[in-house]
Amino acid sequence: MSPLITKLAARFLTLFGVLLVVLLLVVITLGATGFSDRMLHATLNEDLRGLRQTLAQTIRDPIELEQTLEIRRQELTSFYSLDKPWQSRLPETVWRVLTFDLGESRSLRSFEGSSQVIDIVSERLLNTILLITSASVITAILGLIIGPRLASRVGSRLDRLSSLFLAFSYALPSWWVGIFLIIILAFNFDIFPAGGMFSLPPPEGGIFRFLDMLWHATLPIISMVLVSVGAWAYTVRAMLINTAQEPFVTVGRAKGLSKRLVERRYILRVAAPPIITSLTLGLTASLGGAILVETVFNWPGMGRLYYDAILAADESVIVALTFIYTLMYIAARFTLEILYLILDPRIRYA
Amino acid sequence: MNIREIITILLSSRVGKIGVVFFILLVVVSLYVVMAYPMDFGPRSWNNPTVWADNPKNVSPAWTNIFSQTKQVAHTNFKATEPNQVTIGTNETTFFYTSKLSYDYDEFPTFTSFTIDNITYHSQPPIITLAIARPDGREILLYRHVVLGPSPSETMPISRYTETPHRVYLSGDNTVLFNITDYLRGEFDLDIAVPKLRGIIDKVIFGTPGGEGQDFSVLQGKYNIITTARTYHPDDSIGEVSFVLGGSVYGFMGTDATGRDLAVGLLFGFPIALLIGLTTAILTTIIGTSMGIVSGYTGGKTDTIIQRFCDILANVPLLPILIFLAFIIGQKLWLVVLILILFGWPGLAILVRSMVLHSSSTQLVEATRALGASRWRIMFRHVFFQIAPFILAQMIFFTPAAILAEAGLSFLGLGDPSLPTWGQILESGFSTGAVYAGYWWWVLPPGLLVVLAAMTFVLLALGIEPVVNPKLRQ
Repeated sequence: MSPLITKLAARFLTLFGVLLVVLLLVVITLGATGFSDRMLHATLNEDLRGLRQTLAQTIRDPIELEQTLEIRRQELTSFYSLDKPWQSRLPETVWRVLTFDLGESRSLRSFEGSSQVIDIVSERLLNTILLITSASVITAILGLIIGPRLASRVGSRLDRLSSLFLAFSYALPSWWVGIFLIIILAFNFDIFPAGGMFSLPPPEGGIFRFLDMLWHATLPIISMVLVSVGAWAYTVRAMLINTAQEPFVTVGRAKGLSKRLVERRYILRVAAPPIITSLTLGLTASLGGAILVETVFNWPGMGRLYYDAILAADESVIVALTFIYTLMYIAARFTLEILYLILDPRIRYA
Repeated sequence: MNIREIITILLSSRVGKIGVVFFILLVVVSLYVVMAYPMDFGPRSWNNPTVWADNPKNVSPAWTNIFSQTKQVAHTNFKATEPNQVTIGTNETTFFYTSKLSYDYDEFPTFTSFTIDNITYHSQPPIITLAIARPDGREILLYRHVVLGPSPSETMPISRYTETPHRVYLSGDNTVLFNITDYLRGEFDLDIAVPKLRGIIDKVIFGTPGGEGQDFSVLQGKYNIITTARTYHPDDSIGEVSFVLGGSVYGFMGTDATGRDLAVGLLFGFPIALLIGLTTAILTTIIGTSMGIVSGYTGGKTDTIIQRFCDILANVPLLPILIFLAFIIGQKLWLVVLILILFGWPGLAILVRSMVLHSSSTQLVEATRALGASRWRIMFRHVFFQIAPFILAQMIFFTPAAILAEAGLSFLGLGDPSLPTWGQILESGFSTGAVYAGYWWWVLPPGLLVVLAAMTFVLLALGIEPVVNPKLRQ
């Protein structure tokens, strides 16, 4: 087997392990605290209530009705395994979640009115991905532009100033930046909308709709980029400086290659894999940041759904979101791993 | 490298110096709060609306007056426990409590209220009155109250208003309304319909009517707030009387929607933030470092198992897990700290392991091993001291992460209700729409403090960088 496949398989196994750990943590917590019992009892009672109404039309005798319902209750109890301890339901529950059988929400509904958790989450998934991806891409591009400039002027005033900005931006919570921007740009100057994804009513026509969304997405994206770009540019700078001290770069310069060529082919290309690694490490932070930024800007994504689910105490939605977020993180991680392998030839030919 | 050298390097850079100054500031404020605040501050004061009942709601800090064109009313509470004058009659004694108020504001107060507490009487219930003498010589009798008489089962002496004080919201009180109607009729020959008068009681007290169809204008000058208590027994006592002039600005940081003094809450956030940050950072570092050293130095199967385990734990997306656990298990601060440690140490263990692999192949360690030093001795005496500065820098870097994580969780409404934090103050502002109403004093300062606390540690970490990375030393 080629080393590339082995390496990828190992990474995939680790990430799958992450998913399993999260799932087990969630399921065991729900079981041990009695939450899953309560959730199942609620479903069971809901089923019985529906049945009682249907049966009441055919069975007139109240005693007979109660008896039929009692039999049904026992059937359902063993069907949901409520007569056994929660541990015995564990494998089944994990399997249900893994196959996206996420149950029904208590009070939250999808935009179309469905109470199936999978419907509620899936229609918001795209909005979240849209926000996170555009913010990450913008951050990455800005970092790749600013980083090399800082690296070529180490110790200059600009460099020192930007290291201070880094310290500041690392300490800056994106959601608070969002609130700040709302107060200044939406409340005081009324340039941008304070929240939501579209104006009400949304403008007609594809291009206007798109522009309207862009206008609504500007502030959330700015808040996310602002807090992550400093650290990122600084990482790029550090990697470039380290690589620039390698002997082969000196050789390249000694050969009389142009400065741009040395920068691009000798420094940036070699520094690319570690830069990807650091991007990977920052991923959890930006995922968490996105949850909070969506909440602040009332962006109809999964992060805002988290907030709504907390307010509505809708546990099945919270469980589903925890699972989907982990899944999304793993997918993003795996994509970056592949990118890393493409960029680092040492692993391919080892 | 010893501690003194590390401090010297830290103080030699500008970022390091700023970091140290901020850190000292954090520690001093925290120490003050720990000594001055009760331990049960959250449930007893902060989340107890009766404590804040006399405060104006949603008003900006007092210092905003500097930027305001008109002078706004500063919130003032005129409290008195000892009378300034006592007159003794044939069978009654009258206590006089007089407070001077120089009213030089351009606006009317937002509300006025009057509170009495701790009254004890031995024969007849005392009679309390509140009147205001205005700069133009007029006097308004605002309120007259006869303390509730004894019920058949009670025996003398009787104590009233000990648990909850007797509080009258003058701006909306019906007896005050009728007194004001009488006053306007007698002094200005004005007849304003009661429903119309209801909203403008404070304007009548602190203003003069502007004639036909015109509004009241502020009457500036010296006012006297006169409270009298007529008692009928020498041993009768009055605890405290207070008159509150509801301002449109309050204190140093303003108030929130329940009238809570934000400065008080924000101060309480200091030790909590330090506690969260430092506890998490120190414990994470201790666990991460020991596991990293054991893993790297032992090698073999132990190493593989620890590293696989770390790989998985370090990759769990933290905020969703925090939200889930805080929601299901409960909103407890220790739980947050525990989770942050649980998922924080593996990342450090991976880093430490790679450094240990490097340093355990040095000649120093080899020589020590040849001299017959035990495994543990080598691990913690020699390997550890080589990587100690790096670990110190890591520890400082973990602190802001923990502070920010707690603030984010609190912002989602999952903070520990018994311990008010900056994140929770922000959340209460956000969820009640303070952001959209422009109450900047409510939502900006807590965030700014989170940034300040987190930045302190980032600056310290940056200042200490030359210790870890000798290339950066000048």
